[in-house]
Amino acid sequence: MNPLPLKERFGLDRFFLGERRPDGKPLTLNQRRIFILPTQRGLGFGLLILLLALIAFVYNNNLAYMLAFLLGSIFFITILHTYKSLAGLTVQEGQAIAVFAGEAAGFGVHIDNPTPVERQNVRLKMKTAENFNLKAHSKAHLTLYDLTQKRGWHPAGTVTISSTYPLGLFRAWSPIRFNAKALVYPKPANQEVPFPETGSTQNQQGRFKKGGDEFYGLQSYQAGDPIRHIHWKAYAKGLGLFSKQYGGESSSEIWLDFGHAPGQSLEERLSYLCRWVVDAEQAGLSYGFILAGLRLEPGNGPAHYRKCLEALALF
Amino acid sequence: MITNPAHNKEILIFLLSSIGLIVLPHVYHLHLAVFGFFCLLLVWRFVGIWKPERLPTFPIILLLIVCGMAILYTQHRGILGRDGGTSLFVIALGLKLMEIKSERDLYLINYLAFIVAASQFLYEQSILMAAYILFVCCVLLATLVYINSYVAQTGTSLKKAAVIVAQAIPMAIVVFILFPRVEAPRWLLFNDEQKAKMGLSDSMEPGFITDLGMSDELVFRVKFTGAIPPSKQRYWRGPVLTQTDGKKWTQANDLSYQKYLDKPTFSGKPYQYTLLMEPQEKNWVFALDMPADYPNPLRQNANYQLITSDDLRKRTEFKLMSYPAYNTGYLTKTEYKDARQLPGKPSENIKQLVTQLHGFDSQPDEFINQLLNHFRKEDFHYTLTPPLMEDNPIETFLFETRYGFCSHYASAFVYLMRVADIPARVVTGYQGGEFNEVGSFLEIKQADAHAWAEVWLDKQGWVRVDPTAAIAPERIEKNIDIARLVPGGLISYATPGSGQAAFNLLKQARQLWSNVDYNWQRWVINYNNANQASFLSSFGIADFKTMVYWMMAIVGIITALLSLFLLYQRPKSTDRTLIVYNRFLKKIAKAGLSKKPGEGARDFAERIKPKLPEQAVSIEQITTAFISQRYGSKASDAGLRLLDDLVTMFKVKFQETNNLSKTHEQDKNKL
Repeated sequence: MNPLPLKERFGLDRFFLGERRPDGKPLTLNQRRIFILPTQRGLGFGLLILLLALIAFVYNNNLAYMLAFLLGSIFFITILHTYKSLAGLTVQEGQAIAVFAGEAAGFGVHIDNPTPVERQNVRLKMKTAENFNLKAHSKAHLTLYDLTQKRGWHPAGTVTISSTYPLGLFRAWSPIRFNAKALVYPKPANQEVPFPETGSTQNQQGRFKKGGDEFYGLQSYQAGDPIRHIHWKAYAKGLGLFSKQYGGESSSEIWLDFGHAPGQSLEERLSYLCRWVVDAEQAGLSYGFILAGLRLEPGNGPAHYRKCLEALALF
Repeated sequence: MITNPAHNKEILIFLLSSIGLIVLPHVYHLHLAVFGFFCLLLVWRFVGIWKPERLPTFPIILLLIVCGMAILYTQHRGILGRDGGTSLFVIALGLKLMEIKSERDLYLINYLAFIVAASQFLYEQSILMAAYILFVCCVLLATLVYINSYVAQTGTSLKKAAVIVAQAIPMAIVVFILFPRVEAPRWLLFNDEQKAKMGLSDSMEPGFITDLGMSDELVFRVKFTGAIPPSKQRYWRGPVLTQTDGKKWTQANDLSYQKYLDKPTFSGKPYQYTLLMEPQEKNWVFALDMPADYPNPLRQNANYQLITSDDLRKRTEFKLMSYPAYNTGYLTKTEYKDARQLPGKPSENIKQLVTQLHGFDSQPDEFINQLLNHFRKEDFHYTLTPPLMEDNPIETFLFETRYGFCSHYASAFVYLMRVADIPARVVTGYQGGEFNEVGSFLEIKQADAHAWAEVWLDKQGWVRVDPTAAIAPERIEKNIDIARLVPGGLISYATPGSGQAAFNLLKQARQLWSNVDYNWQRWVINYNNANQASFLSSFGIADFKTMVYWMMAIVGIITALLSLFLLYQRPKSTDRTLIVYNRFLKKIAKAGLSKKPGEGARDFAERIKPKLPEQAVSIEQITTAFISQRYGSKASDAGLRLLDDLVTMFKVKFQETNNLSKTHEQDKNKL
């Protein structure tokens, strides 16, 4: 454990946001990072103990005293048990999954339990929360989702891992600042727009059959593929996500140029351009991409597709 | 994941069952209306688990609340005091059951149940009750574990709760011993009418002790320091009855002659003992005849009976000293008058009997012997179920029925003494007591209640005469064996050595249990500020401050030990895997082969396999096991053990090693 500068050690944001982690190495939860406080129910339990002690006092009843002391000890010991439900776990950031704006970005989290103790009901929370059990000497991989609004980089922010196991009287938590960022592509325009009439002489067809209804094969699912194209049967068989690919006969080149994109504002135009890219990729066309200073020679396939979308996201 | 625990069937069944268990013992303590109302609500709620539409709607809940309040008001006229408070919490718990909407409600119900559990102790503090409540507390905590589990399992939850309780017990005991006790101020003590306990009364009508004759209920326990008096000296002095109307005997109204009394003189060896009185209605302390030394706030009344100004309705302990031989000296005028009081003129029959026994023409002790002989010789019988004697019981008993027990004999004896002008009175109390060999203390039960006579003799003062001893000496020498007593049947006495082995075993078990119970009462139930002070001062802990320091220190130590136990983790499994693998590498190194830094385990294996062809299979096995254990997702203790075994069995053939090293040397030589 690397020592923490004094200033940060007493900084309040450590309790809510977590420590700054420039390195992004796996993080082991220990006494420095796990905080613990009684929950509302825990405070209620404290009141209960006081009431029992009062009854014992008024009636001078030793067994009632004993019960009060027993519950008091249980309250106290629960601190250790709750701390134990997190201590020793190792958390590491996983891949962030790029999405289109408006979709939920997924952030992978790897949680490793290298200890011989089973962990019960651990809760991992970003915007959405997920609970899980972790057996002794086992790992879990979870994906937390966060709705995106705008294109660009979407930071994961702070992920809080917490537990109230076993009695719910205390909550142990550890905020972990994630360095992961998910790339958010612009939201493809809802409206279908014909591809631009490119100035390129090579492609004089003018009209081509976009998407088409001719099924020609399966391709593994790419972010942005329309849901109705997913091959659910294969998914149900556990083969993974595949998209059905449809295509027209045209395989000629087109140029997708920001300059030709319709729309008023910048974002609107980007969103149309994005739609073109998605449609072109789906249709299996070979498409070139022009955005401001960037010019990508016509191409096809996931790498090309991603390049185009990245450029759109970060424009 | 339990989405809404308040609607989870298992949780509700779990919680409701534990609540049923918690309230169950109250069936003996609560009014039937309160208990019935609670049961109705509990059953209703149980039905509601499967048929939620049957649960009461809001207006009906309101109506139920009104009902509950009405029951509380009519039964207790308030909510203060033990009974009222308990009923309040039980009814509140029942009503809360009707409205379980969220996890919060489950917690509230759980906490209420803990309060009801504590209220059980206000009624009964036996070991069994404590064990029962401890068990139910585990179940209640298990419901909390259940609620907080991701995959809820009854067994696991119960186990977890039991583990937490077990870990909490040592700390609770330390706090129990060291937590400074303060007696609650008097005004805080709610005066509850306790259920009248059977016991000796301050009057006697021959026949009254019958009720107690069979009662196995404990009255007090005595632990002697030093010698234990023989059974025939164990008379535990209670109220002294001097006034009679021929049927009923009562205490003298005027005891103000006490200031004129002689101080009794004692002789013989004193008995030192500790008396632990069970809760009593009356403020009498049954000391061994005759008490000589007693602590405050005890005092002796004019009849040498010990009286306390303290409340005896809780268990109390006294340290006393008594002498078996004593002389009370002269008689005061009032005493003389009281001790010769007769309800009108004696009948001719009586006079004739007294004359016949030389009551009028001989010394008092002569007459006493004559009378005791009369009881012995004539057809008198000792029984616990004598016939009813409604009018003129003394004459009926003496001349007609002749069946009776201690009070019949004592009253007839005293009456005849008085007719012969000898001052006499009836003393009630307890006689004998069962000796518990395990804990070496005496247990005196209600069945040991007894009545005997006291006669005032010149130069001897008040002298105890027990006419029952004349007719049934076994009654005095041995104890009535309650376990074998059948109403109306023959009285059997517990004789040492008699009875079957099984019966003796049973008796031993009972004595063992009595001993445990005695120590429980003495050290747990009766542990108050006085006990605490004397107990702790033997460790040198004198005042509150040191008590609190010690408490904090010991709790701190326990916490440290617990943390160590709970939080210490063995070396990580992956690290242990590496340790085992390094052992393998060491073995390989004997063959002159070593893993290069940065070389993977798999690459290393492939490199050395051709050089150690005989071990190729085991190298492959070890490498596979190592990789799956260290990097795989299915790492397990079993896998580690397998790897460990493989490495242990792995051997590099030394011949080959030698060859290798030889070739190595040869190479060197060539160079």
